[in-house]
Amino acid sequence: MRNGVAARLRGMAERTGTEKAASVRVDVAVSEKEGSIMLEGEVPTWADKIELGYYAAHFGYRGVVNDVVASDSKWAASETPFHVGGSKPDRPLEGRNFDAAIIGGGVVGCAIARELSKWNISIVLIEKEEDVATQASGRNDGMIHDGFAAKPGTKKAKYNVLGNRLWEPLAKDLGVPFSRPGSLIVYSSAALAALGPALAARSRMNGVDGWEFWSSKKLKAEEPNITDSQHGAFFLPSAGVISPYRATVALAESAAINGALVMLGTCVLGFDMEEGRIAKVKTDRGDFRAGVVINAAGNWADIVAGYAGDRFFSLHQRRGVDIILDKSAGPTQKHILGMPALAQTKTHSKGGGLVKTNEGNILVGPTAEEAPGREEYATYPRDMAGLAKHFKINTKLSQGMAITYFAGVRPCTYEEDFIIEASCKVPNLIHAAGIQSPGLASAPAIAVDIAKLALESLRKTRAVEPKQNFIAKREVTPELRSLPLEERAAYIARDPAYGRIVCRCEEISEGEIRDALRSPVPAASLDAVKRRVRPGMGRCHGGFCTPRVMEIISGELGIPLETVTKKGGGSRIALGETKSRGGRL
Amino acid sequence: MSETKSFVCICCPRGCHLNVQLPELAVTGNSCKRGEEYAKREVSDPRRTITSTVRTTDPERRRLPVKTDGSIPLAKLREAAAALDSVTVSPPVACGDIVLKNVLGLGVNIVATDEIRGQGNG
Amino acid sequence: MISAEKFDVIVIGGGPAGLAAALAAQKAGASTALIERESRLGGILKQCVHDGFGLQRFGEQLAGPEYALRFSKLIPDSGVRVFMETFVHSAEKLNGEGNSETQKGARFILNCVNKEGVLRLAGSCLVLATGCRERTDRQVFIQGERPAGIMTAGLAQRLVNIEGLLPGRRAVILGSGDIGLIMARRLTLEGMEVEGVYEIKPEPSGLSRNLRQCLEDFDIPLHLATTVTSVWGKKRVEAVCVAPVGPDGRPVLEKERRIECDTLVLSVGLIPENEVGLSLGLSLDRATKGPMVDQCGETEIEGLFSCGNALHVNDLVDYVSESGETAGRAAAERALSHSADKRRLVRLNAGRGFLYAVPQYIDLNRHDKAALYFRSASTLKDGAKVSLSSDGREVLKRSYTALRPPEMERLELDPAALEPAGEGGISFSLEKKEAAHV
Repeated sequence: MRNGVAARLRGMAERTGTEKAASVRVDVAVSEKEGSIMLEGEVPTWADKIELGYYAAHFGYRGVVNDVVASDSKWAASETPFHVGGSKPDRPLEGRNFDAAIIGGGVVGCAIARELSKWNISIVLIEKEEDVATQASGRNDGMIHDGFAAKPGTKKAKYNVLGNRLWEPLAKDLGVPFSRPGSLIVYSSAALAALGPALAARSRMNGVDGWEFWSSKKLKAEEPNITDSQHGAFFLPSAGVISPYRATVALAESAAINGALVMLGTCVLGFDMEEGRIAKVKTDRGDFRAGVVINAAGNWADIVAGYAGDRFFSLHQRRGVDIILDKSAGPTQKHILGMPALAQTKTHSKGGGLVKTNEGNILVGPTAEEAPGREEYATYPRDMAGLAKHFKINTKLSQGMAITYFAGVRPCTYEEDFIIEASCKVPNLIHAAGIQSPGLASAPAIAVDIAKLALESLRKTRAVEPKQNFIAKREVTPELRSLPLEERAAYIARDPAYGRIVCRCEEISEGEIRDALRSPVPAASLDAVKRRVRPGMGRCHGGFCTPRVMEIISGELGIPLETVTKKGGGSRIALGETKSRGGRL
Repeated sequence: MSETKSFVCICCPRGCHLNVQLPELAVTGNSCKRGEEYAKREVSDPRRTITSTVRTTDPERRRLPVKTDGSIPLAKLREAAAALDSVTVSPPVACGDIVLKNVLGLGVNIVATDEIRGQGNG
Repeated sequence: MISAEKFDVIVIGGGPAGLAAALAAQKAGASTALIERESRLGGILKQCVHDGFGLQRFGEQLAGPEYALRFSKLIPDSGVRVFMETFVHSAEKLNGEGNSETQKGARFILNCVNKEGVLRLAGSCLVLATGCRERTDRQVFIQGERPAGIMTAGLAQRLVNIEGLLPGRRAVILGSGDIGLIMARRLTLEGMEVEGVYEIKPEPSGLSRNLRQCLEDFDIPLHLATTVTSVWGKKRVEAVCVAPVGPDGRPVLEKERRIECDTLVLSVGLIPENEVGLSLGLSLDRATKGPMVDQCGETEIEGLFSCGNALHVNDLVDYVSESGETAGRAAAERALSHSADKRRLVRLNAGRGFLYAVPQYIDLNRHDKAALYFRSASTLKDGAKVSLSSDGREVLKRSYTALRPPEMERLELDPAALEPAGEGGISFSLEKKEAAHV
C-alpha cells in the first residue's frame, strides 16, 4: 500500500466518528488487493461509508472495494442475488455449451447480444427476472444524452457520444420510435448564463455533436411555457428520446431472431473455475460451459465478478425517482428541459429535468439519493418533495397531472465511471459494469467494444466468422393508433383482432397484445405486456383493461385466468376463483 | 323498562335516522310507511336481501348476477352467500328465472338479475 | 376497408346515459347510432350486481344489470343502429362549406375502429355519454412498493362479478364512498376478510344506508380521518401503512401503523371521461370536471351534447337516465330542425355554498321544465336554504333539513320564470341555516 494512503483514510474515518457520539464505532482497515484499494470495517452511517469510498477513489488504484459496513444499515458485503419471481423447477441449460454467455438482460446485455449475434457463434443471454428491462433499463426517463454532462476523458464521455450517433439508425432497424428533440440547459441566473463558454468548451472536449447559445428571448419564443425566471439556455440539439424498455425488448428480440437464446427467469449462482478460467456457469436452471462470459449484471455486477475471484471494484447504489405526467402535458413543451442550480448538486448525478417521451408523456426527475439496496424500488414522500423544483421549469405542469411515479437504482462505482474492459485476471471474462447514466445512450457503443473483446477472447481457441444472413431489421407490429386510417384498415382486414380495442386510454388492440405474447422474447405477464405495447400506462392505469389483458394472456398461454401474474411468480392478480369455498364459510 | 334503539333506515337512499322506543315499538324519524315497518322488524328480526353471483357454464359469461326474491335473517347472510357456491346455471337464462329454490330452507329463492341468451351470444 | 355513414344523432357510450339518449333520440324521429366499445350494452351497470337502482324511475329496487336491461331490451326494435366493440379513435368538427358530408347537415365526423375495419361516421349532433374512470392509488400519491393486489374498487368489482376471480384473502379499503362500501360487503360475502375501511375525511362519503348494510351488518370498522400512506410487498401486497390525518388534510406520518393484508382496494373518486370532447375544443368546468351545458345538455359547441357521468358524477342512475333522455331528445330536435334555432344562453352563477351546480347555462328560448342538479360544498347538519334569483328577483327557493356533498339534490325550474333576465345572469345561492337557539 502506498505511503500514507491507509493512514489518511483511517484518519478521515476517525474524524467523522469523533464528530458523532463517542459510543459510535469507527474501525476501518485499508489494504491493497490485486491493484485495488480494499476497505473493511465499520463506520456509523451509510453516508460515511460512501464518503470513504469516494475518497479512496482518488488515489489512482485500479478499483475501490468498499466492504465497510455502516451501523445504520443492514447491508453486508456478501449478498446473494434473488429473483423477485422465484425459481422455475426445470433445468434446460444443464450440460449445454455456448460460445458466449451474457449475464444480465438490461439494455447493455441485450445490445451486446445483438452485436454478437452478427457472428457465427452460439450465444445465451441470462436474465434472472421474468422479463428483460425490469431493473435500471426499465426505470429511467429514456433520454439519449448528448454527452455534454460527462466528465471529459472518462469512458462515460466516450461511449455517450459514440452511442448517441448509433441510436437513430439502430432504432430504425429495431422498429422503435426515436426522436431528437434536443436538450435545453436553462440558466436560472445571469451568473450561470455567463458560464456558457465553459459549457461549450466541455462539449468540444467530449466531441458532442453541436451546441448553441440561446438568449432568453429565443428560449421564450421556442418554449412559450418556460418559467419567467430564465436567462437563456445552452442548447444541445443531439439529445434524443427513446422508450428504454421498448428498446431493450427490441434488442433482445433482434438477438433472438438471429439465433441467441434468451433465458428469462434464470439466475447465475456462481462459476466453476479451471486453471484460472471460467469453465462452467452455474445457474438455478442448469450448469453449462461457456467460451467467454460477459458480466453485464447491473447492480449485481460486482457480485458476479466475485464469483470468478475478480471483484476488483464494488458498486454502491444511488436511487432516483421520476414522476410520469399524462399526455395532456406533452403539448406544453418541445425540447428536453433542465435547470441546474448554480451550486453544485450534492450528489454525483446530473440534475434531472423534464423529458417529453415519444408517446407524449412528460417525465419529471430523476432525484438522486445514496441509499443501500440493490433493488430497493420503494418510493417515499420525500421523493415527491424532491421533484417539486422541476415542475417550475414548465409553467403548465402540475402534480395533478401525475399518472404514476417509479424508482430506479443506479449501479455506481466509486470512480463514477463505466467499467468496460476484459478482466485482467480471468482470460474469458469481460466486464460491462457500473453502467449508470448515460448508460442508455452509451449502450450501442459499449456493445461494439465488448463484442470486440469477446471475439478476441474466442479467437484464441477457434475461428469466428461473420454471419452471412444476419437479419438487421426487426419485424414488429407498429403502433396501430398512429397509422394513417387506410393502413390501419388494412391491418384489420388481415386480422379483425387489430380492430378490437382493449386499452381505451392508449388505444391498443387485442391483436397487438397477442403479438406481444407471441414475439421472439415473449411477454408472459401483465407488466411484460405493458412494457411492449403499453396497456395500463394510460390515464386509468389498468383500471379498465386489466381483466381483458388477463383474458388474452390466459387464452394465449393456455393458463387459468387466476394464475395470470403482474410480474411473474408470486404476483398473481387473483387468489383464485370465487364460488370455491366448497361449503365452508 | 323503556329503551330506544337508533339506526339508519336502509329502505331507500334517503337513509332516515330512525328511533324505536321499546317495548312499545313507537317509531320516529321515518319519512314513509316502509320505514316504519322496517324499524319495527329490525329490532326483533333484522332481515336483509342479498345480491351476488353464481357460476355459469358459458365461458363468455362466467358469472350470472342474482338476488334473493325476499329477505332472509341478517344472521344467515354469510351462510346464504356461501350456499350459492354450489349453483351452476347454463344458458339460456332469463332475468327473473329462479336459479336456486328455497335457499337454506328460508322460504326465499335466488333469482337471476340479468339474462344470458343461448349459444353464448348474451 | 373504410366505410362511411351518416346519422342525425350519434351517441358515444352504451351505458345507462347513452342507452337513454339513443332511445330518446330515435323516438324523437332522428336517425340514431350508438357506439359502444365493449361486447355488451349496459356500461358499468353490468358489474353492479347490488340493488338499489331505479327506485325513482321504476318504483323498484333493481340490481344494476336488471336496470340496464330495462333499456337495452328496447334497443333491438327501436331502430337505433348499434355499433358494438367499436372505438372512437378521433373526432373532427366540420367547418361548414363545400363538403358532401356537411351538405347533408353533418357537424362532426367520428373516425372509429372495430373488427370490420375503420368507420367514418358523420353526425349532425353528438351525444357524449362516455361515463367516468376511477382515481388511482398513484393519483393520491400512495408511496411504497408496487406489488400485485392494488386495485380500484371498480376493478375489484369487475374481477369478482364478471371474471369470477377473488382478489385476495384480506383487504384494506381506502375510501368510504358508496363504491368502497359496496365492495366491503361484496368481498365479505365472497369469503374475504375486510380488515377495515379508511376514510381521509372526518366524515364518511357514502350514503348512510350503505354504512349500515355494508359495514355495520358485517362488523367492518370504519376509520375516519385516516388514510393509507404506503403499500409494501415485493410480489403481492403484504401490508399497508395507515396514518391519521391532521386538520390540514395531510397524514401525520409519525403516527403511521402497519396493517398486514394482501389486497388494497381504492375508492378515492371518479373522474368524468371527456377525451373526445376535449379534442373537439370543449373546456371543462373545474368543479364537475365535465363540460358546461344548458338545461338540455347542449355544450358550448352547437350540436355537441353531454349527459350522464361524463357530465358530472351522479349518485342515482335514475338521474343519469333522465339526463340521457333530455340530451338525446334535444339532440334529435337540434338535428332535425332546419333553421338552427338560436339559443339564448344565460349563465347560472352558482355561489360559494355549492360544490357545483349543473347546468351551468339556461337557454331562455326553451320552455320545458329544466332539471337542476347541485351538491353542497360542505356538510350542513342544521339545514340550508337554496335560492335562485334572476336580475335580483327571487324566482325559486327551497329549504333542506340537511345537506351533504355526497348527496346530490335535484330541483325543477321553469325557464319562463326567469324572464326578464338582466345583465348579471342568474344567481344561485346556498346558505346554511343557523342552529335554532332554544
